[in-house]
Amino acid sequence: MTPVAGSVALNLAFGCSILSIITLLIYNRTSDHRLFLTGQRLGLAVSFFVFIATFTLSYQLLISNFDIDYVARYTSFETPMIYKVSALWAGQSGSLLFWLFILSIFNTITIIQNQTRHHSLMPWVIIIMSATQAFFLILTNFITNPFEPTQAEFVVVNGNGLNPLLQNITMAIHPPVLYLGYVGFTVPFAFAFSALVNKDTGVLWVRSIRRWTLVTWLFLSIGIILGGWWAYQELGWGGYWAWDPVENASFMPWLTATAFLHSIIIQEKKDMLRIWNMILIVLTFSLCIFGTFLTRSGVMSSVHSFTESLLGPVFLSFVFIILLSSFGLMYTRIDDLRSPRKIESVTSREGGFLFNNLIFVVICFAVFWGTLFPVITEAITGDQISVGPPFFNQINIPIGLALLALTGIGPLLAWKGTSNRKLIQKFTLPTLLALLSALLFIIAKMTGYVVISFSLCVFVTVAILSEFVKGVRIRKGKFNESSIVALYKMISKNRSRYGGYIVHLGIVLMFIGFTGHAFDKEKEFGIKVGETEQVANYNFQLTRMYEQERSNHYAWITDLRVTNLSGDFITSLKPEKRVYFHKNPDINKRQPHSELDIFSTLNQDIYSIFSSVNNNNDTAFIKIMINPLVKWVWIGGYLLAFGTVIALWPRKD
Amino acid sequence: MNNKIYSLVIGVVSVILFWIGWVSLNPANKKAMAQFISVQNLINENVSKRTKLGGLVKNGSIEISELNQLECVFILKEGDAELAVNYNKTRPDLFKDGAEVIVTGEYLNGIFYADELQTKCASRYEGDLRNESNYNLEEIDI
Repeated sequence: MTPVAGSVALNLAFGCSILSIITLLIYNRTSDHRLFLTGQRLGLAVSFFVFIATFTLSYQLLISNFDIDYVARYTSFETPMIYKVSALWAGQSGSLLFWLFILSIFNTITIIQNQTRHHSLMPWVIIIMSATQAFFLILTNFITNPFEPTQAEFVVVNGNGLNPLLQNITMAIHPPVLYLGYVGFTVPFAFAFSALVNKDTGVLWVRSIRRWTLVTWLFLSIGIILGGWWAYQELGWGGYWAWDPVENASFMPWLTATAFLHSIIIQEKKDMLRIWNMILIVLTFSLCIFGTFLTRSGVMSSVHSFTESLLGPVFLSFVFIILLSSFGLMYTRIDDLRSPRKIESVTSREGGFLFNNLIFVVICFAVFWGTLFPVITEAITGDQISVGPPFFNQINIPIGLALLALTGIGPLLAWKGTSNRKLIQKFTLPTLLALLSALLFIIAKMTGYVVISFSLCVFVTVAILSEFVKGVRIRKGKFNESSIVALYKMISKNRSRYGGYIVHLGIVLMFIGFTGHAFDKEKEFGIKVGETEQVANYNFQLTRMYEQERSNHYAWITDLRVTNLSGDFITSLKPEKRVYFHKNPDINKRQPHSELDIFSTLNQDIYSIFSSVNNNNDTAFIKIMINPLVKWVWIGGYLLAFGTVIALWPRKD
Repeated sequence: MNNKIYSLVIGVVSVILFWIGWVSLNPANKKAMAQFISVQNLINENVSKRTKLGGLVKNGSIEISELNQLECVFILKEGDAELAVNYNKTRPDLFKDGAEVIVTGEYLNGIFYADELQTKCASRYEGDLRNESNYNLEEIDI
């Protein structure tokens, strides 16, 4: 496949997307079924041509065709095969093509899945999806074409190679998973828009997209967690979340999508919150596009930023069109959007969901505000302000703790309303145990947010486990089953409910990990072979320092023997200082990189970074960080994914 | 939604928005944000509060202490303005001559004491392509 085939395929895809939109718009006026079939097939043709373009670029990356500028910039002969594949989403134009590729897969699935159902919704669903494809095809055809030929005044005998920070297996997986999340929200948005056009905003569109939304939400969640895992393992600052604009870009749609997932349960069961759900899905999709804009436009300075480009105005115009058309349409459909029923009580499950939704949206607003605060301030006052992690932490920690409390309160509330007797009955045990644990944490000299967070974790855990215990007891009494069988049957018969509770337990574990950050300790020091340095309750002895030339880098390796204060051996850490492209005669083009080594336990991580080396006096400069409870963040992530899979698992009937 | 729930929703949202506004606008909240100013303005106005500066590391200006390699002084160059920056923590891998950096800290007696140093992504990934046709890999000293 030649590069020309890729460019031609992108052109044809753009043409088909426009034709598909026009054909289906005419169908909406004429109701001629042949036009619907033509529009549908043109929609499939768009996807087909996008697949050809994507496979063409992937092939050119694999064969190192440096005549293509993108291939020359993001790969070299030395780049390992897996990273040649991941180079597809390493740069701006490739990643936009990759976005389009995933959207085309989803488009194909949606069309095939709905060939015999949702006839009233499908024309507008395909129009919206084709319009989104057309937008990305404008970008990849006319603004940042991945098949642009290389323009250099010399023969490009080797490419630049992939940034070493991206040469990590997590980083090869993280973007595609995150994109599956971002792009996936196009489908629920398309159904919502279609429902608005058709004045059919009841439960039909919600039922059509509930599972799809959950799958998409799962991918977005895993993508965010993998990003944190990568930052922790690779970037060498000892944390997993820095409130970087690009991290925020993925977190904002996650927040509104989580709110949406909760509130569509209310619409599905009680036909309430119709307007609210429309607002949430419009915001979620807009934030996904906005997130792609933040990541790819270079408007914010961060580790993820790419070069300044022309993409900004085009992206913002698209977001503006989405918001204007969606809210404009909602305004004209306001009578249809009024829910027939109202929330009756604060202590009802609907009330709990409503407050949980409000908090998610307010956190999203806070993150949005903090991310754009520098831009807004500069526009108003001319002063450039930088907003760092302390700002986001100050705002979000108390709101996040309120959200954690609702994670436990919500499942204990009954539909319509909870009587005082039931409230006392259900809340007494979790509240008492939370208060008791708070007392113990205070005795253990913990303070402030740490005590509140750990106590709330106890409260939520007890609240959710008591729901499991209650359900098992009822089954045991009714069907005479053993505890294990009763638990299994209870979960399998109420998968979405108990899957959701398991997700809540995952969130609790993640909060335990977040709270551990309050106890972090770190020390930086210079050390020679044979010397020992103490950090917290550990001694670090440098037993060896040696050098190695490897296939694509040169490395200085330290060997640190870690013992506790009693002298018992704990582990051996081998952080490295690497120089990539070490053979380049231009010293400025060699790329230093610190390869960390982490000893991880349930209690804490011992995190080692080899900062620099002084070859004159054989001194290694090391940074050690003791990060308590970090592992619980990842375990919580696994549990979150497990719970979501249970909720998604199809029932036999 | 009945009136009681409506009032509660308004109350909760108001409290949270007040909280966000307080953190954003309270001038005493020094840790939460830093003002981005030019090197020239910092020197002219002798700004003593926490600030953020951006610029290039002047070629040949990086001095690292022999005794403690974490102690580093370099010249930050923004246009014609130059400023000595003192930084005593682990330096990012991409910190070197000519690198584009952002530093955060405070200005005191002609020296900027930075406690944060960020480097921008390596320009080689965005800039010129490699011209390897005119050098011999075997002759290169590491």
